[in-house]
Amino acid sequence: MVLAAAALMLGPLVVDAQSSVPAKAKKVTFTVGIKQDIDSLNPFTGIVASAYEMYQLNYETLTDYSVKDFSAKPALAESWDTSADGLTWTYHLRAGLKWSDGQPLTARDVAYTFNRVRKGKYEQTNFGNYVAAMTSVEAPDDRTVVIKVSKPTPIMLHLYVYILPEHIWKDIDEKKVTDYTNEPTGAGIVGSGPFLVTEHKKGQFVRLRANPMYWGGRPKVDELVFRIFNNEDSLAQALRRGEIDFADDLGSNVFKSLKNAPGVTTFPAKSSGFDEIAMNTGAALDDGTPIGDGHPALKDKRVRVAIAHAVDTKTLVDRVFGGFATAGTSIIPSLYQDLHYDPGSSAYTFDPAEADRLLDAAGYKKAANGIRTMPNGRPLRFRLFGRSNSQNSQQTVQFVQGWLKDIGIDVRSKIVSEDSLTEIIGQGNFDLFEWGWVVEPDPNYQLSTFTCANRSYKDAGTVYANLSDSFYCNKAYDALFTRQSQQVDVAARAETVKAMQKMLYEDAPYVVTAYYDDLEAYRSDRFTGFQAQPSPHGSLLFQYGTHSYRTIRPVTKAAGPKAAQSPRSGLVVGGVIGGAAVLGGLVFLGLRGRRRPRSEVE
Amino acid sequence: MTLIATDVPSPSPEDDRGRQRRRRGGLAGFAVRRLLTGIGTMAFVLVFNFFLFRLLPGDPIALYTRGRNTDREQIAALRRALNKPIGEQFVNYLKNPFSSGVDSTQFSRPVWDVIGDYVWPTLVLLGTATVLSAVIGIAIGIKGGWRRGSTFDRTSTAATLTLYAMPEFWLGMVLLILFSTGVGVFPGVFPSGGTLTPGLDPWSVDGILDQAWHLCLPATTLTLAYLAEYALVMRSSLVDELGQDYLMTARAKGLMDRLVRRRHAVPNALLPTITLVFLNIGFVVSGAITVETVFSWPGLGLLSYQAIRGPDVPLLQAIFLLFSLSVVAANLVADVVVAAVDPRVRT
Amino acid sequence: MSAPAAAPVLSARAVVRARRRAARRRFVADFRAQRAGVAGVAILVVFIGLALLAPVLFGSDQLQVTKATGGTLQPPDGSFPLGTDETGRSVLALVVWGARVSLLVGVAATVISMAIGTLVGIASGHFGSWLGALLERLTDWFLVIPFLPLAIVLATVLGSSLLNVIIVIGVTSWPGTARLVRAQTLSVEARPYLERARVLGGGHWHQMSRHVLPNVMPLVLANTTLTVAIAILSETTLSFLGLGDPFRVSWGSMLDNAFAAGAISAGAWWYLLPPGVCVVIVVLAFTLVGRALENVLDPRSREG
Repeated sequence: MVLAAAALMLGPLVVDAQSSVPAKAKKVTFTVGIKQDIDSLNPFTGIVASAYEMYQLNYETLTDYSVKDFSAKPALAESWDTSADGLTWTYHLRAGLKWSDGQPLTARDVAYTFNRVRKGKYEQTNFGNYVAAMTSVEAPDDRTVVIKVSKPTPIMLHLYVYILPEHIWKDIDEKKVTDYTNEPTGAGIVGSGPFLVTEHKKGQFVRLRANPMYWGGRPKVDELVFRIFNNEDSLAQALRRGEIDFADDLGSNVFKSLKNAPGVTTFPAKSSGFDEIAMNTGAALDDGTPIGDGHPALKDKRVRVAIAHAVDTKTLVDRVFGGFATAGTSIIPSLYQDLHYDPGSSAYTFDPAEADRLLDAAGYKKAANGIRTMPNGRPLRFRLFGRSNSQNSQQTVQFVQGWLKDIGIDVRSKIVSEDSLTEIIGQGNFDLFEWGWVVEPDPNYQLSTFTCANRSYKDAGTVYANLSDSFYCNKAYDALFTRQSQQVDVAARAETVKAMQKMLYEDAPYVVTAYYDDLEAYRSDRFTGFQAQPSPHGSLLFQYGTHSYRTIRPVTKAAGPKAAQSPRSGLVVGGVIGGAAVLGGLVFLGLRGRRRPRSEVE
Repeated sequence: MTLIATDVPSPSPEDDRGRQRRRRGGLAGFAVRRLLTGIGTMAFVLVFNFFLFRLLPGDPIALYTRGRNTDREQIAALRRALNKPIGEQFVNYLKNPFSSGVDSTQFSRPVWDVIGDYVWPTLVLLGTATVLSAVIGIAIGIKGGWRRGSTFDRTSTAATLTLYAMPEFWLGMVLLILFSTGVGVFPGVFPSGGTLTPGLDPWSVDGILDQAWHLCLPATTLTLAYLAEYALVMRSSLVDELGQDYLMTARAKGLMDRLVRRRHAVPNALLPTITLVFLNIGFVVSGAITVETVFSWPGLGLLSYQAIRGPDVPLLQAIFLLFSLSVVAANLVADVVVAAVDPRVRT
Repeated sequence: MSAPAAAPVLSARAVVRARRRAARRRFVADFRAQRAGVAGVAILVVFIGLALLAPVLFGSDQLQVTKATGGTLQPPDGSFPLGTDETGRSVLALVVWGARVSLLVGVAATVISMAIGTLVGIASGHFGSWLGALLERLTDWFLVIPFLPLAIVLATVLGSSLLNVIIVIGVTSWPGTARLVRAQTLSVEARPYLERARVLGGGHWHQMSRHVLPNVMPLVLANTTLTVAIAILSETTLSFLGLGDPFRVSWGSMLDNAFAAGAISAGAWWYLLPPGVCVVIVVLAFTLVGRALENVLDPRSREG
């Protein structure tokens, strides 16, 4: 250990003669700072958002999401058609598609990928919902894929499964795939996307090179680098100093501090996530057996509506999100304009007096200590859980506790890990909690979190959590859920989806607090050509698709290669030599003192 | 930060001499005895580690599958892998404590696989800081102890006591504001985090210089945090040593002051400090956790922080095991090495 | 190493009491001569006073986020002498209230640590049998386990609350005390009057509580102040790592919030500096007092 350190310290001394930095190749590199390491480059294994960004850069999909409004758009498939009964889908691939190693990309690769997901248990973890309805996937010729489904489903427009090269992945069988890391070697991971991962230094950065074989043409930057930062301060600092060109997922204070930085443009992008206060509407198993110890008063819709009136979403937006959010209403964020339900004038506005009135009318009278009680005398005392890994969550919890106290509801807050909270929710042992979801362009998954069937379930005598975290159960809602899952017509499905949101809004299992922004900032003095998805207020990067990466370009030719380190080299050399000299001197002094063995002394 | 400072059993010369009168064993015997004790300690750590983590609440599988499309059969298979009877789990654990069979929840990879990537940066940072702090701390201690009561002694004692009272991550944040953000007259010349500018070959000249540049601030922070204790201990053991009879004799014999210091006092007083440097591995590790976090230094400390914030229990468990075992090993080595050098401590 | 002289104790209690009174007077006089120690005590008195007066100086309303009046990360001005935090609360109010939790955790954790350490130390020194050996081994084991990783794991297991932070710090910091007390116990028990007590049929409890404990106490006392310093630093570190009580303001949780809220980038030095400076001052004060006590109680290390 000590030797290693010494080597690192002294290493440069040996070679410091050539202290001038050699001219770098004139490559255009676009560097993105991210806060989350890539957990795995194997698309069947990774779960974090940054990993999915690598997958979609490296591997194309059959269809894409448009940059304008998430509608289906050609990708590997240049067109597709559906049989009259909606059960047979035929995709026509582009001509001349190639993998980055020069092998042709054919319909057989597509069929291989879908069949692998259909047949593989492990492979289904990430992509199971896309293939759930498929009964067969075939490649009658090199450019045609025919998929048969058991029932009509809108998911066929958005088959966002990364198509893998069969000639590489056939060697990674079902046993090997679980441990397969897909780390890049040589020219990079073989793929078909606009960029290819060539280097991954865990915990530090991922590097990608432009793919000249990409069907959409070679991108305008030569290299992408994703640098991992552990905290926002160093991320913002790196952007300010030009070490990186793009920063994502910034906190509001850091974001504000970047507003006046020269050469930097800040962009509060509307994102697809929301935060909510969820309520235990009567925890039960999927068969209706009650579980847990949730407060009975929360089964009463009037109490939940009163709480919705008592939560000041505007203040949360200002104080917790620093103004970079939109007050929330329904569970599909307003970003998805075509799907979002807006309650309009019937929205639950912040109105503690109205909340008091509702609770009084419902018979929850205030006792002497100012806390309301149920008719049977049980006080309205709720447990509210926040999440330990989120500062926003802990702040929101403090605000909500204060507001509910004002309407006579006593709240005991507790901060737990998401891990513990998942268990607490699954067992129904909560009253209120704060959490959030990120909603996909296809609303199916989000809507499914409120179905009766997705409440907790029992297996071999043990209760396990499922997707539902409010234990909402409504037969009419379930019927609409089934209907939308089979509506291929986009407009008709949107109507169903809005009707479901209206139902949820009125029954108030959630108080959606905010649709928060993704705070992004970039070096506008260096790069331009970003596309927001959806336009014009959506995210510039980390989109559904690789739109911005394909269109960004350097502002001027000269601004391309960065000379970030060269001016400092002299200083570094000086510092290292100085440090080493001091160290050497001290060691020398120490050694002189010890040169003679102690026995000689006396 | 000086978390275990007073807990360190720094062998004071008086105690050691007392023991010496009672019993004196050979080095081999001593090494074997210490090895057995060390193995006992390791066994304790292993068992303690296993049961400690069985106490954790939470449903890792439900969290893992939240937002993913998994069916109940898949979840049941995951649970079967995780929820074996406790006896069976314990036996499996003892067979191979380094592969718990459960992947890191954040990285979806075997925990030891994840840890492997983070060891090297920590070794570089801690190694540099340990060497620098020991050398500088000892030098300050010698100077202060020899001229007790001098201006240098009073100033350095005040400075080291203040450093000793400082949370090292706070010191790191202050250095970061001053020398990376740059406030007022302070130049923001240092990088804000990481070990290497992407795109540089780590083994090229530029790459090595760049890494040294990245190392400056975090290594300075830890050096300042650690050197306080070394300086204080070195000073007080030198003061003790100066009170010994043989030094009086040496001086009376007319040996020059500088000679006395270099040949007699310092070498003897060094031993407790050197021992402390080794015994301090646990405390050094603690400092790494917060300082690596502040500087985004991709080592085990930063990994621990990420594991805490998850929390990523399998990863946390493995890191705890690794830290504990390395401290046990370091203590063992320190004991044997010191005993080899100085027969007085063989008991 | 300890204060009372090693002369055999006379049977008359009055003599003992008189002697102890005299020792106390001597102790106070000796301590007064330690300038740094007196300065430490003065600093501590100021901080304890502030902590006690916090509710009077700043109403508890000032800690409520829903009642905050300031802007986000507002620099110091007339109404907010130390600026505001990310939710618009006064940093000055937070620092003063933070002293309560930081001092409380420091003292309470030390009490736990001292109780366990003294008990284990005396017992392992007194009982020469397998029990003593076991306790000694246990002390060694815990001494070796690195403190912070152990505390992190315990805090994760127990969950975040004020009481848990106290418990975690208390149960992880006792081995040093135990070791110290054990050594002292062994030296006390080797003295002739303990032999006499044993011969006269004094039970274990009698020997330990009447003879060993009073002789060990001065040492424990000096060790206590140093342990408080370490406990406060530990609380700061654990809170910074997000393992403290999120609803109680402490200096550590302020630093955690400041770091998470991006105070470094925002240049909000008024949010970052005060809690850290307070930690340094208070820890330094405890350290100075501890060193002064050691000097007084252990003349060998007394400095000219």
